[in-house]
Amino acid sequence: MPQSLKEELDALTAVAAHNGRRFRLLQRPAWPNAARIAVNLTVDFDAMLLRRLNNEPPMELAKGEFGGRVGIWRLIELFRTHGVKATIFTPGRICELYPRALAAAVREGHELADHMWEHRVPKEPAVARAHLSRTKAALQLISGRAPIGSRSRYPSALLREVGFLYNSHGARSHLPYLVCDDDGDPAILELPFHFAIDDAMFFSFAWYASANAGQRLFDPDRVFDLWWAAFEHQYREGGYLNICLHPFVSGRALRIAMLDRLIERMRGAPGVWFATCEEVARHCLAQNAPGLLTASAAAATAE
Amino acid sequence: MPWKQGYTISDEISLADADVRWPDGKRCAVHIVVDLNLASGPDGITPGDLTSPAAVFAANDGLDGLLRALAGSGLKATFAVPALIAECYPERIREIVGRGHELAAHGLKGEDVSGLSRTEEAARIELASELLTAIAGERPAGWFSLPRQTDRFAGGSISANTIELLLEARYVYMGNGLADDLPHYWVTDVGQRRAILTLPYYYHFDDQFFCMFPAQGTGLENADMLLRNWRAEFDAQYRRGRFFTMTLHPQHSGWGHRLAGLEALLAELGRRPQLWNATGAECARHWQSAYPAASQLGLEASIWQDYPDSLS
Repeated sequence: MPQSLKEELDALTAVAAHNGRRFRLLQRPAWPNAARIAVNLTVDFDAMLLRRLNNEPPMELAKGEFGGRVGIWRLIELFRTHGVKATIFTPGRICELYPRALAAAVREGHELADHMWEHRVPKEPAVARAHLSRTKAALQLISGRAPIGSRSRYPSALLREVGFLYNSHGARSHLPYLVCDDDGDPAILELPFHFAIDDAMFFSFAWYASANAGQRLFDPDRVFDLWWAAFEHQYREGGYLNICLHPFVSGRALRIAMLDRLIERMRGAPGVWFATCEEVARHCLAQNAPGLLTASAAAATAE
Repeated sequence: MPWKQGYTISDEISLADADVRWPDGKRCAVHIVVDLNLASGPDGITPGDLTSPAAVFAANDGLDGLLRALAGSGLKATFAVPALIAECYPERIREIVGRGHELAAHGLKGEDVSGLSRTEEAARIELASELLTAIAGERPAGWFSLPRQTDRFAGGSISANTIELLLEARYVYMGNGLADDLPHYWVTDVGQRRAILTLPYYYHFDDQFFCMFPAQGTGLENADMLLRNWRAEFDAQYRRGRFFTMTLHPQHSGWGHRLAGLEALLAELGRRPQLWNATGAECARHWQSAYPAASQLGLEASIWQDYPDSLS
């Protein structure tokens, strides 16, 4: 083999090996009360912020505004009907736009977690840190307690430094897994979220500026079938499912009706643990990396 | 609300289901919109658009089919019409109005106005209004800026001036907004509570995005999916006692299997006794009298803080 090709293969092999040390996949968790599956209902409360960040035209902003005026309230009502708790991933800015909806979510027992300050992770570390701290403070002002989770691409080290226990972004496993630092020590827990279980992939025209030929125009029945199949698979395996909902997408009446049927059907299966991300994260960490729980508690006390 | 210019167009929370009232104690409002725009691009209707096979079908068989389906179910619709289309087919427009449907404006030639100067856009609104008035005998109460199939975004395009210009041109309502699934107020001046009544639109209930979309020949036919969306939304909104709207085009919904599905759905709607079928102007007048902006709009001062590292 020519020397240059060998060097290239060696370098790529080293990349794979290094990446393998960055994540520690976990065994099937023993859920509380011998539950067969843990379900996290997660809400990405972007409203019009991402549309504004992308500099989209006025009607797109109005489309997002539906999420704050209408959709978030319907999701809260849906969760109340079924007696389930959810995690609301909230950009910090939303606290200045929809404080009443967030206060209502907190009163209902839902968890508020970070979804960046304005739906972006700044490249400059100091700005990223400022955004994360500001969002943390804004959420804490409404919920009365410091958030401990994020859905973002913030570096794990930064999330850990501010006392966070989990992120919910990548999908490297069906099950929650640990993201490790450079020394191979666990830094944070990842609660896997998959784009196929994300409402925006099915119902949001021009999501991430997608071209017309690839528009997302599904009817609710089809998504119901796909998501029920995803649930059944993890239920059989004894696993985990994270369902990502955007208030401006799923808050539409026809989709609330679909989610109502879906949650009803999931509740009909014995041993389904509907929990907040925080509850799942603490449970997984206590079993697999209790040191992170202690460190996070110490960071919170230090602040 | 905490109002934020450039982010929000209306107040913080929509009207709750329990607070929605329709005339005569009806349970749910239904607004059917028929869009007669033929523009294939942002510049508005071109000679090619007027002479395409779809244009001929739309003006004849397609429109006949929609009018028959509406008449058969006893339902009225609002026709969103570019002034140019009314100029080309004045007899058909008078026939539509004669059947009890409402004529509303949809631009001068169904164009994207987002790049026009304020003066140019105002002139086009005035000209379109005059032309439609001359043909229909009455000034339109409603204005639509519905999307074209080829638009990058499916919400319809307006400029930064459009809504204020519509108020200045004395329009009663804006026909397509996305911030609610009830009529709502689109605020142009938060200090003065200046706002236009806006009717809901959503692209998931608009046939042009399901019928050979994005284009004849290469697009996908999802008419069955559209029908499921309409039914699911109608059932859900009927239960809530809110508002259902659908957007039709003669060249799309007027064809074959699509028309058959539409006829069946409209017949079902027409048989619902608790349904209030109204045109855009009727919806707007009811809303303005039952929920006037002066008392209904819950606008609170912004609590937004600016930071050098953030969007303003």
